[in-house]
Amino acid sequence: MTIKQFEKFLEVRGLKKYFEAGRPTLFSREKSLIHAVDGVDLNLRRSEIIALVGESGCGKSTLGLLLMGLESPTDGKVIFEDRDITHLNDDQRKDLRRKIQMVFQDPYESLNPTQTIEQILTEPLLVHHIGEHDQERSERVIKAMEDAGLKPADVYLQRYPHELSGGQRQRVVIAAALVLEPEIIIADEPVSMLDVSIRAEVINLLADLRIKREIAVIFITHDLGSVGFFADRVAVMYLGRIVEIGAMLEVLEKPQHPYTKALLSVIPAPNPRLRHERIILQGDPPNPINIPSGCRFHPRCPAAFDMCKLSDPPMMTLTKSHKAACLLISSGK
Amino acid sequence: MQIKAAESTPVRIDASRFAVFWQSFRKNPAGPVGFWMLVFVIIIAIFAPWLTPYEQSSSASVGVADIYQPPNAEHWLGTDDAGQDVFTNFIYGARISLFVGFFAAFISIVIGGVFGLVAGFFGGRWETFLMRFTDVMLVIPDLPLMVVIVAITKPSIMNIILVIGILGWTTTARVVRSQTLAVKSRKFVLRARAIGAGKRHIVTRHILPLVMPILVVQAVLAISLAILNESALAFIGLGDPSALSWGQMLNYAFGRGAMSAGAWWALVVPGFGIVWVVLALTLLGQGLEQVLNPRLDTHHLMPGRPKVGGQAQGGALPNDVILDVRNISIHYINDGSPPARAVENISFSLRKGELMGLVGESGCGKTTLMLALLKLLPAAGQIVNGNVYYKGKDLTSMNEDEINQIRWSRISIIFQGAMNALNPVRTVGDQIAEVILKHEPNFPKPRLTDRVNELLDLVGIASDHREHFPHQYSGGMRQRAMIAMALACNPDVVIADEPTTALDVMIQAQILQLLNDLRKKLGLSVIFVTHDLGVVAELCDKALVMYGGMTAEYADVDVTYNSPKHPYTQELLKAFPDLTKPKKKLSAIPGYPPRLDSLPPGCRFAPRCPAAFDRCQREEPALHKIESGHFASCHLLEASK
Repeated sequence: MTIKQFEKFLEVRGLKKYFEAGRPTLFSREKSLIHAVDGVDLNLRRSEIIALVGESGCGKSTLGLLLMGLESPTDGKVIFEDRDITHLNDDQRKDLRRKIQMVFQDPYESLNPTQTIEQILTEPLLVHHIGEHDQERSERVIKAMEDAGLKPADVYLQRYPHELSGGQRQRVVIAAALVLEPEIIIADEPVSMLDVSIRAEVINLLADLRIKREIAVIFITHDLGSVGFFADRVAVMYLGRIVEIGAMLEVLEKPQHPYTKALLSVIPAPNPRLRHERIILQGDPPNPINIPSGCRFHPRCPAAFDMCKLSDPPMMTLTKSHKAACLLISSGK
Repeated sequence: MQIKAAESTPVRIDASRFAVFWQSFRKNPAGPVGFWMLVFVIIIAIFAPWLTPYEQSSSASVGVADIYQPPNAEHWLGTDDAGQDVFTNFIYGARISLFVGFFAAFISIVIGGVFGLVAGFFGGRWETFLMRFTDVMLVIPDLPLMVVIVAITKPSIMNIILVIGILGWTTTARVVRSQTLAVKSRKFVLRARAIGAGKRHIVTRHILPLVMPILVVQAVLAISLAILNESALAFIGLGDPSALSWGQMLNYAFGRGAMSAGAWWALVVPGFGIVWVVLALTLLGQGLEQVLNPRLDTHHLMPGRPKVGGQAQGGALPNDVILDVRNISIHYINDGSPPARAVENISFSLRKGELMGLVGESGCGKTTLMLALLKLLPAAGQIVNGNVYYKGKDLTSMNEDEINQIRWSRISIIFQGAMNALNPVRTVGDQIAEVILKHEPNFPKPRLTDRVNELLDLVGIASDHREHFPHQYSGGMRQRAMIAMALACNPDVVIADEPTTALDVMIQAQILQLLNDLRKKLGLSVIFVTHDLGVVAELCDKALVMYGGMTAEYADVDVTYNSPKHPYTQELLKAFPDLTKPKKKLSAIPGYPPRLDSLPPGCRFAPRCPAAFDRCQREEPALHKIESGHFASCHLLEASK
């Protein structure tokens, strides 16, 4: 497969998504805004795996939906293969859907219980009018199933989702994304609902797909521990912004943002002999309706100083492959 | 990465979907009875010309003697006011009544279905408009309106069908709308959009199949309503005079002196027909609803029987053992099928101030085991063997009153999912106070608020949140409130059932820190139920690893992590991500955990075990003691001895 080189594969610039919280009432005309995604810059390279990490409510899932075009952004740009895809409608986006696919968190909810596995997997092909005849479509379905580790495929074709285990269902969801031969898969917490013993299987599968099919993956998760070993880069999100982004090993070894440091410290040790001091942030993340002034992390930051209340830190480049937004860096402390 | 699909996949349901449907449909006799009653009437209606002894309306030359003849050999059900054979009219009347019923119901269902789907799926203005319209239609009483419309238009059978059909859709619209809304919010609809499917595709392929079952139930009810309405209209003289339905028969008989002539048969026979069909449809509808409506899905469980089996001998125990569980086995007795052996022969003991991790995947029986400790099992679950000693007293042989002295005040539980465990309409402080009063009815009222504040303080909630409602709490705070409740009566043992599973890493870390602090401060013994090996490594003193209802391994955590003996423990640790060795690939355990209702014959882990040999397929391994305080159940341990 020859791949056309694009200058920009997937690039996100200043992406914002504000939701309205509640309608104006009789007594107040003011609408409050939920700043779900509040200025995200990100670029994804071909067949790269980025882990997008953050607590719930940090906007990571919304960012995924924005990239899929399942939500439309308030501001900013999404560029895919040199083409601005920010404001395409469902019809214009149809051919793009083949190239960007999504895997959802809950494999119990994301499969239609009334369809057989074969129907589920053939559906995307029918929607996109792919394949001259059933034979051709069936070949593609079987190939996708085998790539997703559902072997032998004919054991599964006539079954219904409820007859499969959680891990198998998540493989079906992945296979349904694969039949369209996408270039990007956005995986939103794809293993958090699965049993521990089968999580590794699904993670390994996604890692293999990058090698086999050169698929880029955006892996959205709250658990930095589960992605450490297979992502190329990690982006840490806090309250709608990316606060640190860099090559996986660099971030793991030299985290710069206090939030990243805290997140890393609370990952449970794999052995009781390695129990260590944990930086446990107290309280909950602030409400995304009222974003704190200055650095949005300052109310929970163990290293905050006076300036942090006033000045919003810019993203600082630390090395070629590592950036973070913290006043400790920009002020040289 | 190939998985052994053929062996490891769950039980295949071989029967077709229809067979599955029919099987569960038959469980409630109402459905099949209604179904066959209806089929009977439909057959009669279809084969009317062959079944009836007379031509319909063959009353050209009747004498007075022919009128209101009682049932006799010639006229089995007598004759009516025009000297016609009641039996013949009854059979033909079924045709008319059923025709009206089916046709009018079809109209209602189509209108109601479309309105409900459009309102539910598109929302916005469409929904507002259609639902307000539905509301208006609902408050207008149907029958008087029908009477007016039919009286104005010509009372032909077609007009009657139209009127009944057009006025009967409101309930369907509402039911379909709410079902559409429920289906629309499910993830597979979002996934279909992500695939690139258009609106029409989503409605026809994803929404409609899930709305259909409810539509079928609605249709059955609509038919019976339509038949009743038609009978009512005909009875008050607004029926089609040329179509002799059962209602029309009643009307004629009633209006033309059947009562005074004592001709009961002219009234009873058509009345019986209406009752028969409506009853059939109601039973059928009820039966269908039970199978098709997901919200009414019930498990057919048998109530539990008292404990059988032997008494274990109490051995010498260290003084500080608070809870001692010996050889406990718990089975779920299901209607018909063999018992599910949810927990088999598990033993452990818990010392004062000890934190034990109970590790296992979903469905391994860990929650069942915890519920059994307090005899909180659902009706079908029963302790078939073993004992639970709390400070030397056997909880399994206690009656309900005695165990109530222990529950919560001595051993309490923090449930998974704090959101659902709190009452949304009462303040958190109230709910904590209630727990205190329930177990200590004599607790001095003036001190109650202080005690609640004290408990909230203990779990790190500022006392000004006491008067707040659960929805004003964040997820982490709710879980803290649950912990406060569990501590309300100063228990010795707290069972924490996956208390952090739905929480974010940071909140999870907060809760773990809190539990650890509390056990140090209060000397609590904690059983921490989890599927997360990391949490156990971080927090616990001992770990009991469960697999498929059995003890895989039970040891001090240091042993569990650094010299595990059971292959399951070993494999589980390899599948656990280790950030200290980031680029190492995780090894997955092939296959899937067993279902407790279809366990493999030998060792329950054998189908997935890399070290399994012949014996593992045949024989369940016993629990072996490796050294003091370290147990594992694996045939390999015996071989190595």
